[in-house]
Amino acid sequence: MSLAPLYAKAAVGAVLPRRGSGLPADEVVRDDVLVDRGHVAEYARVCGFALSDTLPLTYPHVMGFALQVELMARRTFPLPLPGLVHVRNRIVATRAIDAGELLRAAVHAERFVAHPKGAQVDLVTSISVEGSLVWSGRSTYLARGATPPPGAISAAADELPDVSDEPVAAAWRVPADAGRRYAAVSGDVNPIHLHPLAARAFGFPTAIAHGMWTAARAVASLQGRTDDAVAYDVEFRKPLRLPSRVELRTRRVDGGWDLGVAGRVEHLRGTLRRSA
Amino acid sequence: MPARRAAVIGGNRIPFARANRRYARASNLDMLTATLDGLVARFGLSGERLGEVVAGAVLKHSRDFNLTREAVLGSRLSPATPAYDIQQACGTGLEATIAVANKIALGQVESGVAGGVDTASDAPIAVNEDLRKVLVALNSARSLGDRVKLVGKLRPGQIVPEIPRNAEPRTGLSMGEHAAVTAKEWGIGRTEQDELAAASHRNLAAAYERGFFDDLVTPYLGLTRDDNLRPDSSVETLAKLKPVFGRGDDATMTAGNSTPLTDGAALVLLGSDEWAAEHRLPVLAHVVDAETAAVDYVHGRDGLLTAPVFAVPRLLERVGMSLQDFDFYEIHEAFASTVLATLKAWEDPAFAKERLGLDAPLGAIDRSRLNVTGSSLAAGHPFAATGGRIVATLAKLLHEKGPGSRGLISICAAGGQGVVAILEGA
Repeated sequence: MSLAPLYAKAAVGAVLPRRGSGLPADEVVRDDVLVDRGHVAEYARVCGFALSDTLPLTYPHVMGFALQVELMARRTFPLPLPGLVHVRNRIVATRAIDAGELLRAAVHAERFVAHPKGAQVDLVTSISVEGSLVWSGRSTYLARGATPPPGAISAAADELPDVSDEPVAAAWRVPADAGRRYAAVSGDVNPIHLHPLAARAFGFPTAIAHGMWTAARAVASLQGRTDDAVAYDVEFRKPLRLPSRVELRTRRVDGGWDLGVAGRVEHLRGTLRRSA
Repeated sequence: MPARRAAVIGGNRIPFARANRRYARASNLDMLTATLDGLVARFGLSGERLGEVVAGAVLKHSRDFNLTREAVLGSRLSPATPAYDIQQACGTGLEATIAVANKIALGQVESGVAGGVDTASDAPIAVNEDLRKVLVALNSARSLGDRVKLVGKLRPGQIVPEIPRNAEPRTGLSMGEHAAVTAKEWGIGRTEQDELAAASHRNLAAAYERGFFDDLVTPYLGLTRDDNLRPDSSVETLAKLKPVFGRGDDATMTAGNSTPLTDGAALVLLGSDEWAAEHRLPVLAHVVDAETAAVDYVHGRDGLLTAPVFAVPRLLERVGMSLQDFDFYEIHEAFASTVLATLKAWEDPAFAKERLGLDAPLGAIDRSRLNVTGSSLAAGHPFAATGGRIVATLAKLLHEKGPGSRGLISICAAGGQGVVAILEGA
C-alpha cells in the first residue's frame, strides 16, 4: 500500500487555501478489514516482533495511518500535512487481536489546541471487533508556526519518565535504509525518512527514522513480558538520524515498564502499563 | 531404574505445514516461541521459572546458535528459565525429552520443556565455500597488498550459494535413496507401503475428528490442522503416484509413502509428580527408559534408518519386557518402507541370531496398535519437531488407556542413528 498519491495530493493541497479553522467532524472508516498475514509478517520482521497469530501491539497504527492521511489530506483539515511532526503516541489495547478477526478501523481528529511552537492536533484510530473497541491509538501531531483556533486551550506539557540512568538493555545498529524498510511496511513514505537528499529538502541533515518504528522496536523487545491489555504511551523527542547506533533502556515499575531510546541525544521515552 | 520417573504432563504443537506454504515467512524462532507460548497458556505457566527448556532444530541459521534460549526470552516464561539447544537430526525432539526426563529423575530439576522445531522453507543458505574461505582470509589480512591479492581470488562462480540438502554428507545419497536400498533389501512391496500411508492419513483424520488434538495443537498463522493431511487418501489414489526414490521397475517409494518437507514445532511439558501436583497439573504418563543406537551405514551392512532395529532389543532387555508387551507403538514414519523394514527385521529369525545376537526374533506386533492416531506420513515431519509430537500424542493415548498401559516410541534419524523410549500411562 503506497500512500504516495495521497501525500502528493496533500502537498498540493497545502498551498491552496483551507476552509475554516476548526476540525472536520467526519470520520474515515473501513469496515470488515481482514489483515493480510503476509503483511503482518513483514511488519513483524522490520520491527523485531516474533511472528504469532496475534497482531503486534503497534500494528494497528499502520492500519489507521492510511486513514489518518486520508483525513489530513482533505481540504477541510485545517493543518497542512507536509511538515506535521509526530510528537506523541498513546496506544490502549484492551486485549490481543487475532490476525483472523474482522476489524473495523475508524479515524477522527480531535483536540486541536495551541502549542508554544504552533498548534497541535490528535488523530485517533479506533479498532473494534463486533462493535466493541479493542485498540485505540492517539497520534499527536505538531504543526510548527500554525495558528490554533481562536480561544484554544494550550496543550498539556506532561513529560514521560526519564530512564537514562538505567543500564543499557540493548544496543541497536540502525542502518541507513531503516526508514525505507519501515516506509515499505507502514505506507508512511514521508520523504524525510527515505533518503538524505529528500530529508535535506525539509531541513534535516540526514534521513531520520520513523518515530513509530522506534516505538515498535522498543516494545517488541518486551514481547512476552507484558500483558495483552496495556497502555503504551510514547513521546518522540529528538529525531533519530540514519544511520545510527542507539541504546534501549528499560525499567521495571509497578504495573509495567518505563523505557527510553537514546544515542547522543534522546529519541524516545515511553511507558507501558497494564490497562484495566 | 531411577529413584523416580519423570512425568509427561502434556504437550503443545502448532499444526505442521508443507514447506513453502503457510509458514513460509515464519522462522524457527517464531514457531518455537509461538509453540512455547501456547504451552505456557495451556498450563498456566506465565512468569514461571522452569528447570530448563531443551529443544533444537536440524536446519538452523548460524544466528540461531542459542535458538531455544532466545525462544524462552521471547516467551511468557520467566526469563530466569535456562535453556539449551541439542541436535540429533530427526531424533532431536525425543533426545531432548530424554535429557529433561533424566534430570528430573535425578532430582536436578523439577520441571522442564522438551521438543524441537524445523523449517524447510526458511532454510539457512550459506555463501559458497570458496567464497567463504576468501572472506575469512580477507577478514584476517593485515596489509592492503594481502587484501588486493585475496580480492583477486574472487570468481563469478562463487556467487552460487550453498543450499542445505537432504543428503548424507558421507554418502551423498538422499535419505530417500538410502531408504530405497533398505526397502529393496527387505523386499518391502509397494502396496503395503501405500496401505501404511493411507492408514496414517485415515488415523490422523479420525483423531482430529474425535477432538483428540484439541489439547495438543494450537492454531498458527491461520492453520488449524496439518495441511499435509488428506482424509480421503486411499491405496487406490496412492497407487497412481510414480516412484521418486530407487531405480528401475521395482522402485516402490513415492511422494505419497514418503514424508514431505514440512515446517512446524512441538514441545512437551515434563515434571516430577510433586511439581505437577503442586501446580495442579495432570500426569498423563511417565518416562520409563530410553535407548539410542547407531549403525555403520557408510561402510557397514546396515541401512541409514535402521538403528532403531538395534536400539529396541537393547531397551527391552534392560527393562525386562517383550515387544508384545505394549498397548501402543509409535514408529516414526520417515518413509512407509522404513516402518515396514523395521518390523520385518524384528520378525526375522536369522537377523535376530546373526545381527541382534538373540536366540529368537522379537516377533510381530499387533498392527492395530501401531500409530493409531496417524504419524509423519500424514502429519508431515518437521525434523526436530517430530519427537515432541509423538511423546505428547503417546502420553495422551496411554492416559486414555489407563494406569499401567505401555507405549513404545521408535524414531530413526540421519547419520544412522535411532532413538527409542518407553512410556507408561498414569
